[in-house]
Amino acid sequence: MPRYAMVIDQSRCVACMACVVACKRENDVPPEHYRTRVLEMVEGRFPKLKSEFRSELCNHCSNAPCVTVCPTGASHKEEDGTVQIDRNKCVGCKACLAACPYDARYINEEHGFADKCSFCQHRLKAGKMPACVATCVGGSRMFGDLNDPDSLVSQLLRENPYRVLLEAAGTKPNVFYINQYPRKS
Amino acid sequence: MELTITGVNTITYPYLHIWDWRVAVYLFLGGLTGGLMCMSAIANLRPGKVVARDQPCCWRIPLLAPIILSVGMFFLFLDLEVKKNMFWFYLTFKPLSPMSWGSWLLVLIYPPMILYAFAAVPDDFKAGMKPGLLKTWSDRMRPHLLLLARINFVLGILLAIYTGILLSTFVARPLWNSSILPVLFLVSGMSTGTALMIMMAKRDEVKLFFTKVDIWLIFSEIVVLLLLFYGHYTSDAAHRASIMPFFNASHQFFPYFLSIVALGIFLPLAIVLKFLEVKGEHSQHLGASGRFLMHASAVLVLIGGFIIRFALVYAGQLSKFSGLS
Repeated sequence: MPRYAMVIDQSRCVACMACVVACKRENDVPPEHYRTRVLEMVEGRFPKLKSEFRSELCNHCSNAPCVTVCPTGASHKEEDGTVQIDRNKCVGCKACLAACPYDARYINEEHGFADKCSFCQHRLKAGKMPACVATCVGGSRMFGDLNDPDSLVSQLLRENPYRVLLEAAGTKPNVFYINQYPRKS
Repeated sequence: MELTITGVNTITYPYLHIWDWRVAVYLFLGGLTGGLMCMSAIANLRPGKVVARDQPCCWRIPLLAPIILSVGMFFLFLDLEVKKNMFWFYLTFKPLSPMSWGSWLLVLIYPPMILYAFAAVPDDFKAGMKPGLLKTWSDRMRPHLLLLARINFVLGILLAIYTGILLSTFVARPLWNSSILPVLFLVSGMSTGTALMIMMAKRDEVKLFFTKVDIWLIFSEIVVLLLLFYGHYTSDAAHRASIMPFFNASHQFFPYFLSIVALGIFLPLAIVLKFLEVKGEHSQHLGASGRFLMHASAVLVLIGGFIIRFALVYAGQLSKFSGLS
């Protein structure tokens, strides 16, 4: 059984937002909500400034607080390690939205259920990559199976120092970040 | 020059606002019901039965408690986004989900509450009732009044503390994520329940008895509230940032600042009024002014409990694990 994960090489992100657009189109995300976003940050003491582009999405945490708090089992872990939502079981209590430290969820106001990035589960089942990965022009987003030692994501995590977001929250995310700041050429 | 910019795309950046006044009202009414269950149980269990002779405390409060809880649950129902899927609450039990525990508790609590209300119907009222189901059940439950009162006391504590546990388990919301919060909601629920008992009681000695109880509860509430803030202030950056809206009088956070100012006035004022009542000469009946002061302090306590729920529900959603942004 695979354990899906995403590796984001921040040095290759140009903040073109193509991932955001592709995600919205692929998953019919309501206009006012986003399943993925790109943060642009600059920090430091002038003139030594550092800039960072950071794509954020559901981290499909191994220790997912949204799954723990869900009272009906609508939010659940799949065998492939992804966190999914059974829309037929969701009561729209919004506990999962409050529980997510990454604010990765939203309520689909037309239908009422909680929604978020599914790693494009429907595309995975068809043998395709998630829409954001497929469209990423800089090759910043990479996706694969951590249980396969030869997969691209396994190799990248072996060869690069990596970090996860809000590690202290203890959620054990499955979205990893490498090369936080672009390397000097 | 230190330059720290978080250049966030404001269109895509999320802003958490999920629970509004409906949830705050539910939390308040849930705590109030818990308090009423405990205090009416005390009224019936108290040695000497001085309090139990007060009919409103004896049986109208047990009758009122399930009605207030139902109103609270109605507001909770209004907050659900997919109401047609509500039955899934009762086809599932998730032992690690406080909301799952709560949904079952809210249903299982009704039979003991209603049976208690039946058992507490006084004999002189029953004498005027026509023979029927209500009278039969009331007669059947009467011998179990004290047992039902004890059960209601325990369930009342569980109900009042649950409303705080529900919020305190969210690690992502530092303001709520404190083990002090359930204690605060418990004490506040007991205090508001006592305040309503004071307002509904007819006999002066009963009003005075619950006034004395409420003084201790309000003291405890203030101490626990201060401990909550102190605990957050001495904790990590995210917890410290989470209480800052209460100490910031700027336009953005003014309602939270105002809530602390109001609590800082209402709760101590309620204590002062209650002390005046208790220290007064009550060998005769309470005068109109004495009753007014009692009811005024009870109203202050109820408003205080309401403010605590509202302020914490709204301010908790501003707080983030990574700090305010």
